[in-house]
Amino acid sequence: MTSLLLLALSLPCVYSAQSVDSRATLERAGIRRLCTEADLAQREALPAPGTAPRAGLASPTRSPWIVASGWRFVRHPGTKYVYEVPAGKAALAAAEAFAYGADAALRIDPADARALGEMLKFLEALSSVDLPPVSDLAIVDDGSPITGEVMNLLARRNLLFDVVQTPSPRYRINIRIGAPGYPREEAADPSAFALRIRRQLTDDQRALRVYGSEVVICRLTADAGRARVHVINYGGREIEGLRIRLRGAYGNGEAHVAGGVGRLALQDQVVADGATEFSLPRLTTYAVIDLEAAR
Amino acid sequence: MGAGGGRMHRRSFVRLLAGTPFLRDFQMRSDIPALRVVSGYPASAKPGMPGPYPGRVVSIRSDTCVDTSTGAANDEVVREMMARGMRTLTGAGTTADAWRRFFEPSDIVGIKVNCGGYPHCVSAYEIVADVVRQLMGIGVPVSHIYVYERFQDQMNEVNYAPHLPEGVQIVAAERANRNVDNSGYDPATYLEADFFGEDDTRSNMMRLVSRVLTKIVNIPNMKDHGATGVTGCLKNIAYGSFSNVARTHQRGKSHTYSVVGALAAMEPLRSRTVLQIMDGLRGVWHGGPFARTTRYVFYPRQIMFGTDPVAIDRLLLDIIEKERRARGAISIWDRSPGSLRMDDTRARDADPNVNIIIREPGHVEYASTLGLGVYDRARIVIKDVDVP
Repeated sequence: MTSLLLLALSLPCVYSAQSVDSRATLERAGIRRLCTEADLAQREALPAPGTAPRAGLASPTRSPWIVASGWRFVRHPGTKYVYEVPAGKAALAAAEAFAYGADAALRIDPADARALGEMLKFLEALSSVDLPPVSDLAIVDDGSPITGEVMNLLARRNLLFDVVQTPSPRYRINIRIGAPGYPREEAADPSAFALRIRRQLTDDQRALRVYGSEVVICRLTADAGRARVHVINYGGREIEGLRIRLRGAYGNGEAHVAGGVGRLALQDQVVADGATEFSLPRLTTYAVIDLEAAR
Repeated sequence: MGAGGGRMHRRSFVRLLAGTPFLRDFQMRSDIPALRVVSGYPASAKPGMPGPYPGRVVSIRSDTCVDTSTGAANDEVVREMMARGMRTLTGAGTTADAWRRFFEPSDIVGIKVNCGGYPHCVSAYEIVADVVRQLMGIGVPVSHIYVYERFQDQMNEVNYAPHLPEGVQIVAAERANRNVDNSGYDPATYLEADFFGEDDTRSNMMRLVSRVLTKIVNIPNMKDHGATGVTGCLKNIAYGSFSNVARTHQRGKSHTYSVVGALAAMEPLRSRTVLQIMDGLRGVWHGGPFARTTRYVFYPRQIMFGTDPVAIDRLLLDIIEKERRARGAISIWDRSPGSLRMDDTRARDADPNVNIIIREPGHVEYASTLGLGVYDRARIVIKDVDVP
């Protein structure tokens, strides 16, 4: 763990390596946005993204426990973060931060320099699209850890939420932990609580569904004319034929897939019953899908 | 094609169980989840299941078909059992004519094998090879014959290729049971249900089944199963042709009671599965569907033939139950909490009186309510034939 890298693409980057060798490794990988130890001092630490076994809660082939930080970025968009990631996780962390537009730095293992360099190159090549995030419900943030854990589990289930300070009339569902209907005791089991919210919302009303994996989390941004879906694969294995359903009618679309895959056409696209479905032929660590609204 | 809505689409329908005409004497359980079937394929005029021989089972036995000291099958005896079985089932004068009752040279034929019981109880090489031989003998091109399973790693272990003519297609939908390969499944043909709050609520039919094959031969084994009680014709064709089915049973609870039949009844699988050949050369009386050791292997030394998967599986229930009783193991119908060691596969493997899930052998009767065959033992006609 010798290298430091400031990720946020919109920010100036400074490098401070612990050795000349590691700095050279990063530069050979095309990584130029570097930072110093001092830059990291005021940043909130993030866990390494991925999946982790949890006895009794998850199994590798069913619902693995996902360690993801997207919910933190949604909750505190102005906070500066730092990942400290072991070998093999840097590219995923970079993709996760990028997908949410987070200001995050990475402390990486030099062995990841090449993979991270390729990911950064991919991210920089993506067209800039500034669309508002799509949410199906709001959660009133009281700042408590339990509310954060509910957000975590909502995100884990691809239940798209907005964070508000008071209930918002924009949403049919406003969750305030401790309010009637959302007792704190129930929220103590955030997974079951998130499932209850899902059923309250109903799957049919969800803006986004994912089929074919339990280890993919998406972020959806859209306006009236187009949509961008960020697709993050936390499982560490390439996924074929991931199926995505978006509420609304979309026409032309294409995917940009990291890991050297590049641009791919969407497959088996269907628009019916107020929703659009398509399959992503390949998903490595990360993909961006851009769609135009149907005319 | 929206998920979970009540709106009807031309390609989808919700199977309204209470409205089916098969429920006269059947007590429907109250814990059956809502199952939404989406398929654009119509049923054929005469669906393959239960086919032309509902309630009819031919059982061919031979004491010499397997050397029980080694587990090795006798190819010559198995061929004779296969020929006798097909002729007895159809009444045809020749074996080739018997196969012509089901297949034409223009067919593209899938052979659904079972590889989960490797190494001690899988669809026998000798039986699979004979099916291929007979299909080619009536003019089906070798390249139109597919041996299929869900998982390639299991197919690799079993390795049918050296036993089959060159050109037979050996295919799987997924590299392994890791839930990452979806391309082998048809995104437009699926069963949707939320069993335990899982996020991925769909089980999709294999593309090979929906888009390539015109007929299917189903070759299950005689095996116990921890979630379904037994795994026979219905379970092999249903759970072996769809994605994401392990989600139906976990933490002691199994929804296989309704889902096995619901999947088997989905089109086009139901119409295209025209022949059931249950491989009972070897069997598994506990720990199934796996057979990593010989501890729970037994030797029924028979092959059952039919077109009615329910009737064959009804007999299988008795076969497994009888063997378990003889060994002093709890019944496959046991639902007592005292027998349940939830998800403890080690305890299950060590002790035949341990269940890891409450089994659902009632899935066979439930499938009969979907019109897949005859469950009533008194209405099943069995023709027993012994081959020396």
